[in-house]
Amino acid sequence: TAGNKIFHFGSCRISMSVTEIRSGFTAIKANIQARDPVRTLSILSYPHSLHKVKSSDRCCITHHLFNFYVDKVFKHCKTEDSYVNRKISSIANSFLSVKRKLGQCHEQKKCMCGQESTEKFNQILANYEGLNVTSAAIKSLGELDILLDWVE
Amino acid sequence: SGELYCSLPKPRNVHFESINMKNILHWSAPEGTGDGVLYKVKYSVYGVGKWIRKPECRNINRTWCDLSSETSDYEEQYYASVKAFLNGMCSDWMETTRFNPLTDTKIDPPMVSVSSTEKSISIILTAPEKWKRSSEGESVSLLQVYPGLQYNVSVLNKKTKKRWFFSISNNTLVVPWLEPGTAYCVSAQIHVTTPLLHSGFSKEYCIATLKDKTA
Repeated sequence: TAGNKIFHFGSCRISMSVTEIRSGFTAIKANIQARDPVRTLSILSYPHSLHKVKSSDRCCITHHLFNFYVDKVFKHCKTEDSYVNRKISSIANSFLSVKRKLGQCHEQKKCMCGQESTEKFNQILANYEGLNVTSAAIKSLGELDILLDWVE
Repeated sequence: SGELYCSLPKPRNVHFESINMKNILHWSAPEGTGDGVLYKVKYSVYGVGKWIRKPECRNINRTWCDLSSETSDYEEQYYASVKAFLNGMCSDWMETTRFNPLTDTKIDPPMVSVSSTEKSISIILTAPEKWKRSSEGESVSLLQVYPGLQYNVSVLNKKTKKRWFFSISNNTLVVPWLEPGTAYCVSAQIHVTTPLLHSGFSKEYCIATLKDKTA
């Protein structure tokens, strides 16, 4: 599809339609972020930015995060705006395909999880569970550019 | 903070205008107010608990404030907010949307330098630098910020009006098999695929190929 790019996570190589995901998110970014009034907490960046993750742990964290978005975020982001909902489901479909590819890498032992990535992901889950489900899901969705900036 | 009851309308259209990550906060005066309005500004890093005042933008009457220094870490995202004061009255704070320097900045066109031989022209492109605190500060090219940065180059034969387009990743291009003694004009644009960003085209730089010595 348009804008597919190959990403190398150690020996795990996957293609991702980043441009499609980005343009989908850009179209709804202001709308989604405006629904998140909590400035003082970040799901992905608290207490440390994703940029602090060691490169050896990148594959595992990315795998965890794509699972997180598919399993815990998109499904709780229904809005009253059908345009926004369509964009969210398009992004969700793109995430689903990347999640599968990362899952295959995991099964082939190419995406191993170290202690740091497990701790970082547990922190993300704790941040998420610190809010009610809808607020946490909307905040996570509003932070998609943080994830994409880091993945790229 | 000892402020009075805030019945003044809020500042309007508070937003960042960013070029090469020089990030300036802009706003419009509150509705229905003329001269004499003063403002103060604060900003916060998204996900961090506190608002930080900007002393250089306290009690100012202009409607902009340079927050480049405070928002220079492009791995973070930011909010900024403005409050107005007039004749002892104040407004509530008015906030920006979330600002992501990496995706929300505009990029200037590249610098273009051209040279020629009889049948070719050589083009060297230089991406703009990221804003820096002072001229002595370390220069960071936007190429380092956006590793996927590419150049779109347009070459026009002034005589035949024929135009070619090239898309290149490195910063040099040699265009061969040209006509001797002919003027060519070059213009270039920066294109980043992710995040999706592109500059305008630079102005045209024209040069003539050398005359054919054997003719």
